[in-house]
Amino acid sequence: MTVQREQLEADVLIVGAGPAGLSCALHLANLIKKHNASGARPELSAENIYVLEKGREIGAHQLSGAIMNPRALAELVPDFEKSAPLDTPVTDSAALVFTKGSSLRIPVTPPPFQNRGNYVVSLSKVTKWLGGLVEAAGVNVFKEFGGAEIVYEGEGVAGVITEDKGLDKNGKPKDNFTPGYELRAKVTVLAEGTRGSLTKKLVTAKKLDNLNPQSYGIGIKELWDVRPGRVAPGYVAHTLGWPVPTSMYGGGWIYGLSNNRVSIGLVIALEYANPQFDPHAAFQTWKTHPFLKEILDGGKLVRYGAKSLPYGGWYAIPRTYVDGALIIGDSGSFLDSQRLKGIHLAMKSGMFAAETTFEALKSGDTSSKMLSAFPKKVEESYIKQELWKVRNFHQSFQHGMLSGFFHTAFQQITGGRGLIDPMRAHAGNEAYQKINGRPAPERFKGDGKLTFDRLTDVYHSGTRHDEDQPCHLRVADTNICSTKCVVEYGNPCQYFCPAAVYEMVSESGGAPKLKISAANCVHCKTCDIADPYQIIDWVVPEGGGGPNYEGM
Amino acid sequence: MKILVVTELRQGKWNNASFETLVAAQQIAKDTSSTVSALVIGKGISAFADELATKNVAEVLRVEHDLLESYTPDGFCIALKQVIESAKPDLVLFPHTYQVRDFAPKLAAMLGKGMIGDCIGVRNESGKLVFVRQMFQGKTAADVTFTGAAPWFASFQSGAFRADLLAAHPSGKAPANSVAVSLSAEQIRTKPLELFKEAKSAVDLTQSPLIVAIGRGIKAPENIPQAEALAKSLGAEIAASRPICDEGWLPMERQIGSSGQTVAPKLYLALGISGAIQHVVGMKGARTIVAINKDSNAPIFEIADYGVVGDIFEIMPALTEALEKAKSA
Amino acid sequence: MNIIVCIKQVPAKDAPLAISGNWIKESDIGFEMNEPDSYALEEALRLKEKHGGEVIALSLGPERVKQTIKEALAKGADRAIHIADDNFAQLDPLGSAKALAAAIQKEKADLVLTGLQSDDHGFGQTGVLLAGLLDRPHATIIMQIEVQDGKMRLKRELEAGWFQWMECPLPAVLSIQSGINKVRYATLKGIMAAKKKEIATITRESLSVSVEPTQKIEKIYVPTKTKKTEFLTGAPKEVAAKLVEKLKFEARVI
Repeated sequence: MTVQREQLEADVLIVGAGPAGLSCALHLANLIKKHNASGARPELSAENIYVLEKGREIGAHQLSGAIMNPRALAELVPDFEKSAPLDTPVTDSAALVFTKGSSLRIPVTPPPFQNRGNYVVSLSKVTKWLGGLVEAAGVNVFKEFGGAEIVYEGEGVAGVITEDKGLDKNGKPKDNFTPGYELRAKVTVLAEGTRGSLTKKLVTAKKLDNLNPQSYGIGIKELWDVRPGRVAPGYVAHTLGWPVPTSMYGGGWIYGLSNNRVSIGLVIALEYANPQFDPHAAFQTWKTHPFLKEILDGGKLVRYGAKSLPYGGWYAIPRTYVDGALIIGDSGSFLDSQRLKGIHLAMKSGMFAAETTFEALKSGDTSSKMLSAFPKKVEESYIKQELWKVRNFHQSFQHGMLSGFFHTAFQQITGGRGLIDPMRAHAGNEAYQKINGRPAPERFKGDGKLTFDRLTDVYHSGTRHDEDQPCHLRVADTNICSTKCVVEYGNPCQYFCPAAVYEMVSESGGAPKLKISAANCVHCKTCDIADPYQIIDWVVPEGGGGPNYEGM
Repeated sequence: MKILVVTELRQGKWNNASFETLVAAQQIAKDTSSTVSALVIGKGISAFADELATKNVAEVLRVEHDLLESYTPDGFCIALKQVIESAKPDLVLFPHTYQVRDFAPKLAAMLGKGMIGDCIGVRNESGKLVFVRQMFQGKTAADVTFTGAAPWFASFQSGAFRADLLAAHPSGKAPANSVAVSLSAEQIRTKPLELFKEAKSAVDLTQSPLIVAIGRGIKAPENIPQAEALAKSLGAEIAASRPICDEGWLPMERQIGSSGQTVAPKLYLALGISGAIQHVVGMKGARTIVAINKDSNAPIFEIADYGVVGDIFEIMPALTEALEKAKSA
Repeated sequence: MNIIVCIKQVPAKDAPLAISGNWIKESDIGFEMNEPDSYALEEALRLKEKHGGEVIALSLGPERVKQTIKEALAKGADRAIHIADDNFAQLDPLGSAKALAAAIQKEKADLVLTGLQSDDHGFGQTGVLLAGLLDRPHATIIMQIEVQDGKMRLKRELEAGWFQWMECPLPAVLSIQSGINKVRYATLKGIMAAKKKEIATITRESLSVSVEPTQKIEKIYVPTKTKKTEFLTGAPKEVAAKLVEKLKFEARVI
């Protein structure tokens, strides 16, 4: 459909108001303020910085455990301790090994699991607070607007088109049809978070892939109110072992917050062999472990959420710059998968992007050459220091936990080099083994008190989308689902989606057909990542839709 | 305490919700040793007043005036204010109808009082009346009391009380008296025009007292007529859980649940609905819930008053037949 | 036509409610424009587009309601009035209406629009009370508004599929039925322009209205239903007969 789009121009367009995008915006606004105050020319304005956020509010789509290293925040907001909503400092860091009925605390908590000096936070709250500072600095943050398409010009990027609003299920304009805007900017910063939809396309279009393809995990979280005294605020535990099979990489977390609230979750690397494996069911099963049961008994589920995590590490970070654009944060895979820390790295990357952009604006040169200052800054910083040490970490676990421990032990004592450097990785969606006629597993039902089925959990994510809009999960060819995938892999989308979006339904004895309940989507991007044929393209739905992780 | 019930006529007939309000009044009167008066307002209302007099009320008031023939907020407020000032009731009760919503709060305010509207219940707590109403779209209930002196104004939600429990007058008839009110044409500022019925494309399930809802268990759109026949024999509206509307088998307006309508009918008959929380939040306020499902573990049974573990394709026709038989009996 | 739209900010529909006494804990939940009011706002904007004039958004509540006011400005309201009151959630319908009316009296509005009711308290009385306090004619559950020669022709919804046309003079107060229009999206330009639009903040106290409550919400609670499901067994015909009997004589719903 050819639509007349209104054009708007900004100096800088940041797609995504998460920790990376907001740190970029705030740092840039601060740099501009100082610059203008000194009387330097050209005069710049924070109002020419636009930030797009697809959620209804800043923080609505932010999900993480989370343990935050305050390092970057301290640089960005020096008096953060007074104003930032940090729930509680970490008081105890435990590493637990679970077997079916028992748990063992490793006497000396291994360094990757030590968290002294860090905070247990609600990332949603921190991001919301940060957003307030960004708006107070004069930056334009547009909520309920997503980046739908990249505007290419010359060798690089000229901006982004926001999503069309007011289209019905069949793509026809409704009464209130409002076409997306063509937002042009001198520098576009992609800060879309994990598996950014625009980032994915830019990386493919401009061949920005690094040595290793991106690799991901899925994190499934529940927030609970528990009986007093069950978990101390600041108690941080990471669990290994049951119920994650040793052939897979994954583990759980238990973080004690204040007011008898606890954050629990399980992460599983999306590169397992069994296509019918159900991460959500694994998480629910994990909760039945006596250690968890004791914490959760008598408690109440408050919220649910799920999100993918970029595990790829240093060798999976794409080239992060082209003419007119930068990639930062989780979109750029700036995550330490060993320590499960990405917030401070996202923020720092945002700050570097701000500095690079600032220089570009001043000089009027936004070419890739100019923007290549960004990766240089990253190279010379603690981002590299931290990620370099674990550059082969995630790849080590491709063949299971045992070989993983074997390799990482060597990496620990060789500053990350280990036995193979660089260690290559395969895309997670290539790891599936064919089911060869194996029947579909029984679906997890839950007892409704301690464990829940996906539909009940999804209800607690607060996710909602206007029903009457085009489906934002674009499956290139659903015949593959009904004829090929059903035989080869048993339609894994039914199992890996933590929001019960995908279902194969056999109508009146015919071939099974794919049924998509797009309104359940929690924007985790797992389907885009884990589908074996890579035919699922997650695109941004009408702004405002999605989960509500406020306060989570 | 003197309780006054303001009844409602609609196009020359009773709005039956009025009787439910009378039942509420009778219940309160019993709990608080009070008297109940009933009021009819309009023009040409003698027959209605006579009918009310056969119920267990202390007195019937007839409020008649040419200018009250058609409802107008000004007409009703000015007239009823005079009646209340002369009759001096302590508690004035209304059925919570579209019409009452249009004037009753203003009437209360004209007398310097407030109104507790859309109540689903009331109880006497050591001499103080506690009204119960819903908040947050039915997610919570609220106990509300009046502060300050009478008169107090309240309205009851349709279905909160059962009209069939209305007690007749013990000894035949209550006295019926006319109350004169003065009204002039200039006082009535709005002018009601033609009434008409429209084939509403949008159905308001929240106003339906009986609902038959279908879920995934219906399997195919070809089976929906069976459920519609059942609904017809029951005099109910048809509704559905989200998957049915998603498929387009029924229009979106028929959807019940967190992304559709929230209803609290007298009867909710759930056919082939599993009872996922997304659906249940839209209907758990129903007074009587009947669930029919093949799966004995379906969560819907946790909130059902009556459950049948069975095949809806066998139960639907049998139930339709049984209902038709009961109707003609 | 100068139109004032009364807009309430309410807890987000999907927010998990943590009850605290007679209200809810406001921390950790989002707030949004009361959906019924968004239809009133849309109607006001359409009337302005047709007849010219000004649309003023009026809201009552603590500082956080400014966010919803900005949404209204972003959609096209020309300016806004914020009656600041931290204790807003405790006001009864008459108290809120008195405060709103006091602010409205200072403006020269032809029309005051409200939504039918709020998604939190759900009193559904504000429009009608405002009409009383401002001594203006009113109508509720309005589906359509036609303005001609200083008068309005209104389509009103009644029960059971009936509708009615009526005439109403201006100035007046109308409560708008939900779903009568397709609410517009705030545009990027609208959002930016909203930053420069005036929001006049006045305290509720400064309006000198007595908000002596006429009613009090003692407490709110989640209704607990202790239901014991009665399972009916037997062949389909048997079960059907049993069920009809139960519904007729026990539950008395048919």
